[in-house]
Amino acid sequence: MKRYILRRILISVFTLLAITLVLFAMLQFMPGSPFNDEKLSDDQRAQLNAKYGLDQPLYVQFGRYVANLARGDFGVSYNISKNTPIRQLIQTRLPISIKIGGMAVGMGALAGLLLGIAAALNHNTILDTLCTIVSVLGVSVPSYVFALALSYSLGFRLKWLPMLYNAKMALPSSLMPGIALSLFTLASIARFTRNEMLEVMDSDYMLLAESKGISGAPLILRHALRNTLIPIITVLAPLVVDLMTGSLVVEKIFAIPGIGSLLVTAIQSNDYNVIIALSFIYSAMYIAIMLTVDILYGIIDPRIRLARSSDGEDSTPPGRPGFASRWARVWGKKQKAVNMYES
Amino acid sequence: MKTKRIKRFGTGILVCIFVLGLVACGSPSSNTGTPDRTKAPSGDAGKKPAGSGDPLNIMVEVEVSSLDPQVATDGTSLEVIADFTDGLMQMDPDGKAVNAIAESHEVSEDGLTYTFHLRKDAKWSNGDPVTADDFVFGWQRAVDPDTASEYSYMLSDIGQVKNAADIIAGKKPVTDLGITAVDENTLKVELNVPVSYFLSLMYFPTFYPVNRSFYEGLKKDTFGTSPETILSNGAFKPDSYEPAALSFDLVKNPDYYDADKISLSGLSYQVIKDSQQAFMSYQNGDLDIVKLSGDQVDQVKDDPELNVEGAGCMWYLTMNSHEIPALNNVNMRLALTNAIDRASIVEDVVKDGSVATYTAVPPQFATGPDGSDFSADQDKFHDVCADDPDKAVEFYEKAKQELGQDSFHFELLLEDQTETQNVAAVLKEQIESALPGVTIDLKVEPKKQRVEDIQNGRYEVCLTRWGPDYADPMTYLSMWVTDNLNNYGFWSNAGYDAIIADCTTGAHINDPEARWNAMYDAEKIVMDEAVIAPVYTKADANMIKSGVSGIDFHPVALNRVFKNAKKN
Repeated sequence: MKRYILRRILISVFTLLAITLVLFAMLQFMPGSPFNDEKLSDDQRAQLNAKYGLDQPLYVQFGRYVANLARGDFGVSYNISKNTPIRQLIQTRLPISIKIGGMAVGMGALAGLLLGIAAALNHNTILDTLCTIVSVLGVSVPSYVFALALSYSLGFRLKWLPMLYNAKMALPSSLMPGIALSLFTLASIARFTRNEMLEVMDSDYMLLAESKGISGAPLILRHALRNTLIPIITVLAPLVVDLMTGSLVVEKIFAIPGIGSLLVTAIQSNDYNVIIALSFIYSAMYIAIMLTVDILYGIIDPRIRLARSSDGEDSTPPGRPGFASRWARVWGKKQKAVNMYES
Repeated sequence: MKTKRIKRFGTGILVCIFVLGLVACGSPSSNTGTPDRTKAPSGDAGKKPAGSGDPLNIMVEVEVSSLDPQVATDGTSLEVIADFTDGLMQMDPDGKAVNAIAESHEVSEDGLTYTFHLRKDAKWSNGDPVTADDFVFGWQRAVDPDTASEYSYMLSDIGQVKNAADIIAGKKPVTDLGITAVDENTLKVELNVPVSYFLSLMYFPTFYPVNRSFYEGLKKDTFGTSPETILSNGAFKPDSYEPAALSFDLVKNPDYYDADKISLSGLSYQVIKDSQQAFMSYQNGDLDIVKLSGDQVDQVKDDPELNVEGAGCMWYLTMNSHEIPALNNVNMRLALTNAIDRASIVEDVVKDGSVATYTAVPPQFATGPDGSDFSADQDKFHDVCADDPDKAVEFYEKAKQELGQDSFHFELLLEDQTETQNVAAVLKEQIESALPGVTIDLKVEPKKQRVEDIQNGRYEVCLTRWGPDYADPMTYLSMWVTDNLNNYGFWSNAGYDAIIADCTTGAHINDPEARWNAMYDAEKIVMDEAVIAPVYTKADANMIKSGVSGIDFHPVALNRVFKNAKKN
C-alpha cells in the first residue's frame, strides 16, 4: 500500500509538470497579449515585454518559470494587480474557495446520501418520487441559476443572508454560494445512492444478514450502507471537480474573493502568469482528490485492501492504469464479490 | 415487520434532512447576532471610522489593478488613487483645473516654463511634508524605462515635458527630465512647446507625487499593495486593501489640509461584476451608488435616483481604406456612415443615456477659449454624416459606378461584450436594409485580439472606441495623423497632417483661437472623407441614493470624484 501511494504521488508530480508545459505552450497561441491596449505604442509594448522577459524564446521562459516554480514563486501579475506576486494574490483567495467548495461537497454529499437512503428505503412512495424530482432538477439546472434564485429569495426578499461575500461575516455569507454549489452534488449523490441502495437491499447477503437476526439501524448502516458507499466515493471525486468549474460563475455572482473569480478575470485580461498559476493549482487539487479517493477505497472496502496486498502491487504491469480503468477494476471486483454471495 | 422497521429508519433520516435544512437557514441570525432583520445584513457593521457621517458605499465593476499612480491606467484605479492623493491641481465640479497642492503658479511668456508654488500645510500620512522633490520623484518614475509606465506618453507626447521622450526611449538618464525642485516648495517644469491644456494634466494621477524616502524604504514591488505601503496626502486614506481585493475601505484623512471640507467619514468600495446582483444590493440598501446596464436603465427611467452623466468615450466605425479597395472609395464610406440610424441605436439598444454622435470629436469633454463645447453643434457635418438612408443611397450609387460593382461584402469586427454585440447586430441590419447589395458579417473577438488586429490592419470594418485622455480635441484628432498607431484605416492626408502639426508644435501653439479654428478645419476633413463613422458617445447611468449629493462626474481623467460628496 505504501509503495503504491508513493508511486502515485510521483506520477502526480510528473503529470503536473506536463500540464504546466502544455499550458505554457497553449498560452502562446492565445489571442492577443497581456499588453494590448489601444493606448500603448509599439515601443512601450516592447519595453513591457522586455521588463517581464516575454521577449525571450519560449524555452527560456519555460525554464525560468519552472525554476521559479520550484521555489514556490508563481511570478507577478501583469494586469489584474500589476506587479503583485501571484503567491500573494492566491494566498488569501485559495482558502476562501476551498472553504466554500468544501462546504458544498460536505453538505451536498451528506444531504444527498440521506435523501438517497430515505428514498431507497421508501421505494415507490412519494418520498422516492420527490428524490427523483430533486435529482433531475439538481443535475439539469446549472448552479448559477440556483445562486441567482437563492440570492433573490433569501438575500433580496427575505434579507436572511447577505447577498455579497463579506469577510467580516464569512460563515453566513458563504452559505448561499455553498448551497448553490452543493445542489449538483446533492442531486447526483442522491440518485446514485438510491439506485445503489436498492440493488444492495435486494441482494442475498442482506437476506442472509436479516435471517441471522440483524435488523434496523445496524442492518442498514453496517451491511447496506457500507456496500453502497464504494461506488459513491467514485462518483464524488469527479463531482468535486465539477464544483471547481461551477465556482467560477457562483463566485462572480456573490462577489467572493476566491480563485474562481480570479481565473475568469485573468483569462479575460490575458494575465498569463495568473492563468498558469491557477490552472496549476486546479490540476494539483484534481490530482490530490483522485489520490485521496484511491486511498479511501482501501479504507472503506477491506476486500480491495486485502486483494491488493495479496495480489502484490509489484505484479501489476508498469504504467499504472489510469483512474477510469482502476474504477472499472474496483467495480469488477465488487461485482465479483456480489456474484460470490449470490452463488 | 422488517419493512416497517426499515421504513421507520428511513423516516428518521428524513427528519435529519429537515433539521439540517433548518440549521442552515437559521444560522445567520444566530451568527451575526443582529436582532433587527429588516436591516441589511452585510455592510460594515461594528466598524465606524472616525469622522462625521457614514462612509459612502460605492460599487465598481472591476478590481483596482494598481494603486501606484505611475503604473495605474484603468478608470477604477485612477479614481481610488485620486481618493487618497492630491496632485498639483484638482478638478472643480465643472472639470476646470483648480489649485490643490499648488498654491499658485506662473507661466513664462513663451509658455515653456511653469513654476508651481506648493502649499506648506500639505502632509503625507506619515507626517512628512509634501515637497517639490516628491513631484520630481513621481514624474521621474513615470518616464523611467524600469517602471515601464503605460501612461508615460502623458509626459512625452501629450505633456511635452522636456527630455521625457528621450528618457522613455532610454537615451537619457531620468535626472534630465524637465522638472526641478527649486526649493522645498517651488517646482519648475520645462516644456518643449507650449501646451494649452497643460494645467489640466496636473490632476491626472501619472503626474502625482510619490514620497521618495518612503518609497525607497519599501521592499521592491510592494509599493501600493497594502495600507502600510501607501502614503496618503489626500482627502481619504486606505484602511483595508489588498491586491485585487473585491472590497476595501478608505477612511477620512484627519491630516488632510482641507479636512474641514470633507463630510464623509470614508469610502467603502465593493466590486460587483454581475449587474443584477449590484442593482439588488443597491435596492437592499447595501450600496449608495451603483452603475446600471442599459436594460436596467429602462426599468428605472422615471426614478429620481437615476443619474446619467456623459463618459466622454466615443464608439465609432473604423474602415480599412488601405487594405480593402471598396472602402478606399470615399463615396462607399460616406454611404455606410449615412446608412446608420444612430438615434435608434442610443434609444432602443444602448438605452443608458448615451448620445448619438455625428462629429469626429465627441461632445461634452472639450471646451474652447470662449468656453463653448467643441462639438456642441452636432449638425455641422449634416451633409456628410446624418441618419439619412436616402443620402446613403445617393453616395452608394456613386460608389457602385466608380467601383464597377453591384454587391459588397464586409466583415464587421467587434469585441465580445453584450452591449457591443447588440449594437453591431443592429448596425448590420441598418446598413444592409439601407444599402441593397451590401452584406455584413459579424466577427466577434476578445478585446485584446481585436485591438491587435485593427492596429495591424487585419480587419475590414471595426466597431471600436476611444476615450479622451485630456480635455482637448487633439486627444481625438491626433489619431488620424499619418502613421499614428491608432489610425486604424491607415488613412493619410498631407493637408491634415500639416494642420495637426501647426496645432501641436507649430504656428498655432501660442494662439488658442487660431488653434481652435484650425482644429475645426481638421475635423471637417475627417468627416468629409468619412475616415471614421462616429456612432455614439457613451454615458454612465448611475443610481444614487437620495440622501447622497456632491459626487462630481467628469468625462476626462477622473470619472468620479468623491471629495465633495455628502451623505445624510
